[in-house]
Amino acid sequence: MSGELSQFNDAFFEEASEHMTNIEDGLLQLEQRPADLDLLNTIFRSAHSIKGVAGMLGFSAVAQFTHKMETLLDQLRTNKLVVTPPVADLLLKCTDCLKALIGAAKGGDHPDQTLVAGLEQQLADYAAGKVPSADPAVHASVATPPKGTAPVQSRPASSPAETVHYQFTIGWTPPGNIFQIGLDPMQVIKDLRNLGTVSHLKADASRLPDLAAMDPERCYLSWSLVLDTAKTQEVVESVFEFVKEDSILSILDTTPDQPMSVAPVPAPPAESEGAHVKPLGEILVESGAVTPEDLNRALSQQKKVGEILVEQHVVTPQQVAQALETQKQAEAAAQAKKADTTTIRVDTAKIDRLINLVGELVITQSMLTDLGKHFSLAKMPLLLERMAQLERNTREIQERVMGIRMLQIGTAFQRFPRLVRDLAQKSGKKIQLVTAGEETELDKSVIESIGDPLTHLIRNSADHGLEPPDERLAAGKPEQGTIKLNAFHEGGNICITVEDDGRGLNRDRILAKAIKQGLVQEGEKLPDDQIWQLIFKPGFSTAEKITDVSGRGVGMDVVKRNIEALGGTVGIKTIPGKGTLFTLKLPLTLAIIDGMTVRVGKELYIIPLVSIVESIQPRPDTIRTIIGQAELINVRGAYHPILRLHQAFHIEPEHTDLLDSILVIVETEGERVAVMVDELVGQQQVVIKSLEKNFRKVQGIAGATILGDGTVGFILDVRGLLDLTRRIEPVAA
Amino acid sequence: MEQTVFVIDDSPTMRQMVAFTLANAGFQVVEAGNGQEALAKLEASPQPALVVTDLNMPGMDGLSLIRELRKLPAMKFVPILILTTESSADKKAEGRSAGATGWIVKPFNPDQFMKVVQKVLPA
Repeated sequence: MSGELSQFNDAFFEEASEHMTNIEDGLLQLEQRPADLDLLNTIFRSAHSIKGVAGMLGFSAVAQFTHKMETLLDQLRTNKLVVTPPVADLLLKCTDCLKALIGAAKGGDHPDQTLVAGLEQQLADYAAGKVPSADPAVHASVATPPKGTAPVQSRPASSPAETVHYQFTIGWTPPGNIFQIGLDPMQVIKDLRNLGTVSHLKADASRLPDLAAMDPERCYLSWSLVLDTAKTQEVVESVFEFVKEDSILSILDTTPDQPMSVAPVPAPPAESEGAHVKPLGEILVESGAVTPEDLNRALSQQKKVGEILVEQHVVTPQQVAQALETQKQAEAAAQAKKADTTTIRVDTAKIDRLINLVGELVITQSMLTDLGKHFSLAKMPLLLERMAQLERNTREIQERVMGIRMLQIGTAFQRFPRLVRDLAQKSGKKIQLVTAGEETELDKSVIESIGDPLTHLIRNSADHGLEPPDERLAAGKPEQGTIKLNAFHEGGNICITVEDDGRGLNRDRILAKAIKQGLVQEGEKLPDDQIWQLIFKPGFSTAEKITDVSGRGVGMDVVKRNIEALGGTVGIKTIPGKGTLFTLKLPLTLAIIDGMTVRVGKELYIIPLVSIVESIQPRPDTIRTIIGQAELINVRGAYHPILRLHQAFHIEPEHTDLLDSILVIVETEGERVAVMVDELVGQQQVVIKSLEKNFRKVQGIAGATILGDGTVGFILDVRGLLDLTRRIEPVAA
Repeated sequence: MEQTVFVIDDSPTMRQMVAFTLANAGFQVVEAGNGQEALAKLEASPQPALVVTDLNMPGMDGLSLIRELRKLPAMKFVPILILTTESSADKKAEGRSAGATGWIVKPFNPDQFMKVVQKVLPA
C-alpha cells in the first residue's frame, strides 16, 4: 500500500520545499511583526501540510519533528505564547533541521541525531511554557510512531490473534439530524452486518409524529438488533464512531456464558476486515506496560532474516552477502533513477492555452493541406495569408512553450532574507534587504543557476560594501545599510541588480592590488570600467582580513564565470562613498538567443546580440597595423584588435580589404575585439543546438543553429574569438 | 455508473494521494485546493456522491465549506468526510455541528481510507 503511495514522494519533496520556503520566509517576517496572526497561520499551515503528507508517506522522522514544531506554532497562534527572538531563532534552526530531515528522506545524509533530539527537546520545553518537563516529550513520542503504513506492514502483529465469539444486543436511536450530516442509518446497519450475523432486527417507529408534523428530513426511527460477531465491543462501537455522541446507543454484551473457544487463527490476520491491527509493541506502549525506549531496544535486538537463516544452516553467509549486495544495487539504481527526475509545476491555465493553440495550429495545417491539393496561382494571396497565420501560431506556441519553463525569479530571491539576516548578525552590521521585481519570469534552469552568483554578490555587498554602523553614522548615512535586489526585463534580457549603499569600490586599492598580483603593469592607464572588472579575476580580494563571510578571493570570479556560462554579463557601477551596483544581464532562456546573422564569403554566422557593442565601416585613418603583431582599429580613441573571421576559419571571403568590409565590435569580460565580416544579414532569434553533443567542441564556436533556408549556421563564441585573436595574431600580420 | 467524489485539500500531494486511492477504487475524482474552488467546481461537475475535505486551508476552510455545502439542496444529504490530523473530541464535535458526516485521521493508508469511505457511501 505504501508502495503505491511512494509514487507521490517526488511530489511531496517539491511541495515540501515550497512549504519550507513559506515557513522560513514567514519566520523572518515574524521577527518584525511578532503579533501577525495571518503570518503565524500561514506558517502553521505549511508545517501542518508537511506533517500530514510525511506521515502518510511513511517519513516518520519528518512527521514527528514537524509535529513538534507545529505544537509550538499552535501555542503561538493561539496566543498562549509570544514570539520572542529566542523562539524565532529556535524555529529557524528547526527549519534547517527539518530541511535536512526531508533531505534524508529523499536519500541524503541523515542529520545528527543528537541535534534533532536536542531541538525536539527545546521545542517541547518552549511549548510547555519553558518549564522543562518530560511530559510533553514522552507524550509526543508515543503519539507519533507512524501508525501509518510501512512499519505496520513490515512487522505484522506478532500477537497470536484469537477468535472469540461475542453476542451484543444493540439498541440505537440515531440523532434526528442524521440525514443532514449525510449518513444513512441503513449504512450503519450494513456495517454491522459486515462484522457478523445480525438477527432480531427491529425498527421502532413509535416516535413517528403525525404526518402533518413530520419533517421528512429528520429521522424518527430507532433500531434494535442482536449481533453475533468475532469482534470485540470496541470494534462494534467503532461502527457508530461518527454518530456515537449524538445517538442514544446501548451495546450490551449478551454473550452466552460458555467456555471461551480460544482458537488460534493462522497468521497473518486478514487486514481487510476489522479495525487496523496494531503491532504488539505499539499496544504495549499505549497501555503503559513498556516505554517506547524499551520497545525500540527490543526491536533493535530482533535478528535479521539473513542471520537467522545462516544460524539454521539454510544458507551460507556468502549467499546472504550476495543477496544483500543485489539488494543494495537495486536500491542504488532506484535511488539514481529518483535523483534524475526533475519536475516543474505548471499553471493549468498555461497548459490549456497551449492546447488551444495546438488546436489552431492543426486547423491551419489542414487548411494549408486543402489549399495545396487544389492550388492555382490565383490562390497565391490566400496561401500567403495562411502562411502568415501559421507563422503567428508557431510563434505563439513557441512563446507559450518557453513560458512553461518560466518561473518567477522570486523563488530564487526567497533564500536571501535569511542570508542577509545571518550575515548581519555575524558581522554586527545593520542591514536591510529590499527586493523588487520578484514576479519577473525567467527560465527555470537560469533561475537554478543564478542562486549561487547572487549569494556571492550579496555576501560581497554585506561584507565589503556596507560599512559598520559607526562608520556609516560618521559618513552621515543611516545606521542601517541597505542591499537592494531587483529584477526586471530589458529588451530580450533579464537584468538582476544587486545594489548597496556602502562605501563603493576603492579604485586605488584595487589598482594597487592588481599591480601587486601582476595583473596590471605599473603606470598602465586603465579606464574605470576595466579596473572594476579586475575584481572578477581569480584570486583577487582587497579585503584586509579574511572574514568568515567573504574575502578569500574566491567568489567574484566564480560569479563572473557562472553568469557567462549562462550567456550573460556582469556590469559594475560604483560611486565612492555612495555604493556599488552590480548588474547581471541574462538571456531569458538558454535555448534561444537573439543573434545577428553575418556573412563571410558564402558562410553565415550568428553573433549573440548581447555581446555586440556596435558595427562600423572602418575609415583608412582609423586602422593601425603593428607589423608582425596585429591590426588594430581606433574607435573614438580606444584601440581594438581586428579579427579576420575568414582567416580564423580558413574560408574564402568576398572582401579581403578592411575598408570594404564591416567590423562588428564584440565585447566580453570588458575586452573588445573587432570581427571582420562581409555583410550584416539581419537580426533574428535562433535556436541553439549543441555542437559538442553532436560533434565536438570547436574553438570560437558556441553552437549551431538551423537557419531559415534550412542550412546550418554557426553561433560564434565571443570569448573563444578573443582567444583566437591572440593565437593568430602573428599570422594576421 | 462511476460516482464522483470531491477531494479538497490545500496540499497537492495529499490531494493526489487521496485522488489516486479513490480513482483506484473506481471513483471519478474532482480536486480542489480550497473551499471556494470546490464550490466553483461543483457547478460544472456531476453531483458528488461524497465530499472529502481538509479542515485547515487558506481562503475558505473546511468547516465553512461544509456549512456552505449543507445549504445547497443537492448537497443536503451527501456524506462529507473531514481529513484531520487531530482526533480530539472538540474537533469532531465542531465538524459534526457544521454538518460533517465523519472524519479520517491522518496519517492513514489507502485501505483505512477506503474503509471509512465505504462506511458512509450508500452502496
